[in-house]
Amino acid sequence: MLRAAVALARRSLRTTLRRPQFLAPLLVFPSLFLAINTGGLHRSTDLPGFPHVHGFLDFQLAAAMCQSLMLGGVGAGIATALEIEGGFFDRLVASPIPRVSIPLGRIMAGAVIAAVQVVYFLALGLIFGAHIAAGVPGVLMVLLIGIATGTGFAALGVMLALRARSASTVQGIFPLVFVVLFVSSAFFPRKLLSHPADWVAAYNPLSYVADGIRDPIISSITATTVLEGLAAALGIAAAGIGLSVVALRGRLREA
Amino acid sequence: MNQSFRVVVALSRRALNEILRVPGAAIPGILAPTIFLIGLSGAFGKAAQLPGFHASDFTTFIVPVSILQGAGFTGAATGVNLARDIEQGWFDRLLVCPAPRVTLLAGIVSSAALRSLLPASFVFIVALIMGVHWPGVDGLVIAFVLAMGLATVMAFWSTIIALRFRTQQAAPLMQVANFIAVLFTTSYAPKDLLASWLRTIASINPVTHVLDGARQGFVGAVTWHTTWQAVVSILGLQLVLGALAVRSLRRFGV
Amino acid sequence: MPAIEVQGLERVFKGGLRAVAGIDLEVAAGEVYGFLGPNGAGKTTTVRMLVTLLRPTGGRALVAGYDVATEPHKVRKRIGVALQEAALDMLMTGRELMELQATLHGIPPRDVRDRAAALIERVGLSQAAERRVGTYSGGMRRRLDLAMALIHAPDVLFLDEPTTGLDPVSRITLWDEVRRLRDEGTTVFLTTQYLEEADQLADRVGIINAGKIVAEGTPAQLKAEVGRPHLDLTLTDDADLDRAREVLAQFGDGRPPAEGCHLSVAVAGGATEIAPVVRALDDAGFMVASLELVQPTLDDVFVEKTGRHLEGAEQAPPAAADPVAEPVA
Repeated sequence: MLRAAVALARRSLRTTLRRPQFLAPLLVFPSLFLAINTGGLHRSTDLPGFPHVHGFLDFQLAAAMCQSLMLGGVGAGIATALEIEGGFFDRLVASPIPRVSIPLGRIMAGAVIAAVQVVYFLALGLIFGAHIAAGVPGVLMVLLIGIATGTGFAALGVMLALRARSASTVQGIFPLVFVVLFVSSAFFPRKLLSHPADWVAAYNPLSYVADGIRDPIISSITATTVLEGLAAALGIAAAGIGLSVVALRGRLREA
Repeated sequence: MNQSFRVVVALSRRALNEILRVPGAAIPGILAPTIFLIGLSGAFGKAAQLPGFHASDFTTFIVPVSILQGAGFTGAATGVNLARDIEQGWFDRLLVCPAPRVTLLAGIVSSAALRSLLPASFVFIVALIMGVHWPGVDGLVIAFVLAMGLATVMAFWSTIIALRFRTQQAAPLMQVANFIAVLFTTSYAPKDLLASWLRTIASINPVTHVLDGARQGFVGAVTWHTTWQAVVSILGLQLVLGALAVRSLRRFGV
Repeated sequence: MPAIEVQGLERVFKGGLRAVAGIDLEVAAGEVYGFLGPNGAGKTTTVRMLVTLLRPTGGRALVAGYDVATEPHKVRKRIGVALQEAALDMLMTGRELMELQATLHGIPPRDVRDRAAALIERVGLSQAAERRVGTYSGGMRRRLDLAMALIHAPDVLFLDEPTTGLDPVSRITLWDEVRRLRDEGTTVFLTTQYLEEADQLADRVGIINAGKIVAEGTPAQLKAEVGRPHLDLTLTDDADLDRAREVLAQFGDGRPPAEGCHLSVAVAGGATEIAPVVRALDDAGFMVASLELVQPTLDDVFVEKTGRHLEGAEQAPPAAADPVAEPVA
């Protein structure tokens, strides 16, 4: 099963790289948003209650990563839906591979893309003057949480595609990505969010992911925050993978 | 002249058909700016407490941004529709009819201005519900007129992209221009509060004047000075991009 | 004045692809000209140049008396175009599309509705006129496409593979319409990959291959150039085929028989020779189990000029042959 999943993961990566129009939104839009937020609201660090940071860019990097990772999940869903629409999915189902390797391949590719996304934003941040307060261990923690989160979102995207079966339906999820982001502590500290966003953010797993990614960047590693972030990320990954397998079974039952 | 006008009206009616006959077609264009308005207000609302912020609250400050974003999104969708028409062969049908190219272009983009009123109105209503300051009739009319103008500008831009690439896959390129044009301005904060690099870009970006013009009624009084700068900026953008779009159309198929 | 006049027309795309490599042709007013060739031969590129969608990179073309390169908008006023894809707006009704087309072609507002209704009725879509085009079948869309091309009563009508993908009944309906247009005096430039279509409809045929015209003339002329009709015969008893061949020698040259047949003879007189052949064989004591008169086809012309078959030869409806399956006593 692992071999089949790895082969399919490699194929997914190859096809993703050959379609820059799918890759670009994952990096370009979050980068632009990062620039706008940082350039437009950099004085927000003066607000009472804002955590002590080297610069607003350091604070915003986590938001950009979370946005990119979520869009990556939607991208994985669209790619899967296109395969279903085009009939390639049926070809895989008819082949002698463990069927669970089909979504797993796409999810594994999602993990690799997530690593690329996290590294990209870390590099971008460093180029434009960000500091990673926790150094190399901090970078590793950010990578770990980011990859787990990206894996989870890729899995959720695959689940959506298996249920919806059409790329345009999956694409319709885009606005929801921003809703989830806005009602979290991705962009602004939780206690400085307006009501009721602050209340929702307390229950939004993305808040813990964002805080977990942010902590090693803006300060030395705080065990609780980072562990909560990792737990949330792994929870999203586990839930996503589980739901995608259930969705696969449901689809195969209908066929 | 009469015949050209009839062609423009006929093509506009066809373009409006999509939102009239496909119920969900208008939703993305309305939903996106609305989510941004509500989301950004929720996330960054406290930024309005910063000294130097010339608005009663952050939502009031960014309502014009959402109005313009929605208008720009609608304009960009014009290009996506044109790319689809090119892919499906419908555009060839327009090209072999005797109407002048300028008339065809006017027909393609004119509906964008009208369609932009839909997201603009929806965002404005949501903003009022959120407690935004009433901009006055003059402020509102100016905001809407500028939104329609920006929709046309984005329609020209996305038409150029559609004619160049001839595929709907170029849609992100059409949308990103709207994103950059509207947001790399005084979108989130007054100029004095922006980072120096963004302040420089905002000073050069003509859409900053358009945004200031759309915003003036919401944050204060409507002035002739701000209004004429906004109008000149939007007309200038329409002229430049319109000329480039006509040029692209004339070269199509050469 | 010819309706279409082409001299050295050429189109070279970026990268050096010479899709049309210098063609000359002339189409008389009121003629149906069939432009035949395999996929990729340059048919569609030629049509796109003639209808001003593509600029020629060499040569000259006059359509309805106007130069496609220097006077394109005058050309557009006089031509009707139905391209390979029946590009229609699925959200509009048939009537709305016709009225839009009428407006685009400058039909006065007071005439738009009536003209649209008349054309819709002409192509048999009156019942479906108020339905959205998305609900139309392929044949209906093609008919609407044709009606749209005719809304402004063009002098020259361009049809690019109009029956590709249509069922046989729809194809026949479209053929009838083309004949009717010819009778009304409209010049029709028709591209097709189907031999039968060119044979049935065209007054003259031009065969294009690899961007060049390899043959041109009436279907009968072209076919006569490559050979005569022949009779393929099967006898009830194949014991004395040599003697049977001697009997047939008086009618024409013998030729290798087709698979499953015993004998084959070229017959210059065509069908008129069937009865004398059967009588001669009968007099000599042979009984004919079956015979088939096979006419030379445009595919034979294509094979003669290019050394390979036209793709449509395998896909087209059966050629105009006269199979006689019953034994003739």
